[in-house]
Amino acid sequence: MKTTIPLIVAFLSGIVLIFAFFFNPDRVFIGAAQEVVLQWMTIISGFALVLGVVSILRVNSAKVKRREAGWHYKLATVISVLVMAIPAILPVSSKTFGGKIFYTVFPENSASLFGTGTGSIYDWLFNYVDSPMMETMFAMLAFYIASAAYRAFRARNAEATLLLLTATIVMMWRVPIGEAFLRLFSTQLPDYINMFLMNGFNVAVQRGIIIGAALGAAAMSLRIILGIERTYMGKG
Amino acid sequence: MTIWDKISAIDRRWIYLAMAISIFIPTIVVIRFPVEITVESRQLYDAVESLPDSSVVMLTFDYYPSTLAETEPMSIAALRQLFRKNMKVVTISHIPLGGPSIAERVTRQIAEEFGKVYGIDYVNLGYKANYVAVMHGLASSIEAIFPSDWSGTPLKEIPMMQTIKCYRDIKFIFSVSDNATIDYWISIVNAQYGVPVGGGVTAVSAPKMYSFVEAGQLTGLLGGMKGAAEYEKLVGVEGTATRGMDAQSLAHFLIIALVIIGNIGFFATKHRQG
Repeated sequence: MKTTIPLIVAFLSGIVLIFAFFFNPDRVFIGAAQEVVLQWMTIISGFALVLGVVSILRVNSAKVKRREAGWHYKLATVISVLVMAIPAILPVSSKTFGGKIFYTVFPENSASLFGTGTGSIYDWLFNYVDSPMMETMFAMLAFYIASAAYRAFRARNAEATLLLLTATIVMMWRVPIGEAFLRLFSTQLPDYINMFLMNGFNVAVQRGIIIGAALGAAAMSLRIILGIERTYMGKG
Repeated sequence: MTIWDKISAIDRRWIYLAMAISIFIPTIVVIRFPVEITVESRQLYDAVESLPDSSVVMLTFDYYPSTLAETEPMSIAALRQLFRKNMKVVTISHIPLGGPSIAERVTRQIAEEFGKVYGIDYVNLGYKANYVAVMHGLASSIEAIFPSDWSGTPLKEIPMMQTIKCYRDIKFIFSVSDNATIDYWISIVNAQYGVPVGGGVTAVSAPKMYSFVEAGQLTGLLGGMKGAAEYEKLVGVEGTATRGMDAQSLAHFLIIALVIIGNIGFFATKHRQG
């Protein structure tokens, strides 16, 4: 039963979406059924997010309790999740059922601090803590890329040399000083790079990758719909 | 130990220092080389310009704060162009962490410049989980997927949304993305529902997008900070991307120099060892 019902749900959902693609939703039942399936998908995805939050809290708080190595970081994770999430989900007005209870304890003029709107605690934390931290982490890549390029980017064989030359040309072409430098050799050179390198060789390779990946995804979807692939249920 | 052995064994902190200096110098000395417009950027700009004034355009904020330097200038330049043409802008995000907040902050800032009013000229729908389902769902009813906007106001109470019910009412989708969501805007919304999609992506994602531009499925493309700088130039307002071009130019040249030096050292050592 635990296996059969998910298999039936997966089969029906998949079949409805496949067939709905070919029919007008205003005229044919299956077209309208697609809308219902898609709304369910959105709702289930919302629950999946909640499940993720519960999971991260459970796993990390258990490690904090056991004082495992690096428990300080786990504690920081738990605190961060709670500090960011709680003000965001609190009601922003006393008109709702939850709001009526909440605002008997807290003053109603603090309502703008809750929710996710402009000026809320969530908004402030996002703009002044989370966003700068994420930007900093990403910016540090420039340093690692420079170091890695110096140590590892070697013309060891023909393929590596080709990659190295292409990367150098594209890096030059993607910045104004590089473009100006390339134009010293020919005024058309940057346009040729765009035309032949990016819209020529690059497109040919990318299409192969995209079509290959799409065929793989279609095959995997078919396996799930037909119940051959069951790893999503934790079974091999 | 030869000079090349010494260079090969250079402490990585010197490389970090050189990179820091190359990024820092342009903040003091403005070099400003002219930004050349690529065909793909021009195509996107022209596509938006060719839309009738007051058309409805959906602008997506599908990026995380980590790539703000590349993506935010694209959104800002796009908003300037859209508001200048009195377009009605619907913003949406498929990024749970911050996407709608970025959309709110950036759109309000540019809307103030043009004297645009929330609910009349622009609306922020916010975020809903599962972007594939959301993209399909918007085809039949925006209100079914987003009963209220990001701040919780029911769509029924927003004047602008009274005439915008589904993709049929949207003339163009301008997707700014740092991940695979733009692929779905193309493969679902453009391919299945016929809405023109154009957009900007990070430099690292741009090569993949060229194939969609070539196929006519993506109407124009902005690639990375350079693409954003090109759009700023087209729109006629220099922003952070144009200013960032100097730092990126020096950083690229430093990396190229490091690759050249590293390879000379590699071949010199190989030659010496026979």
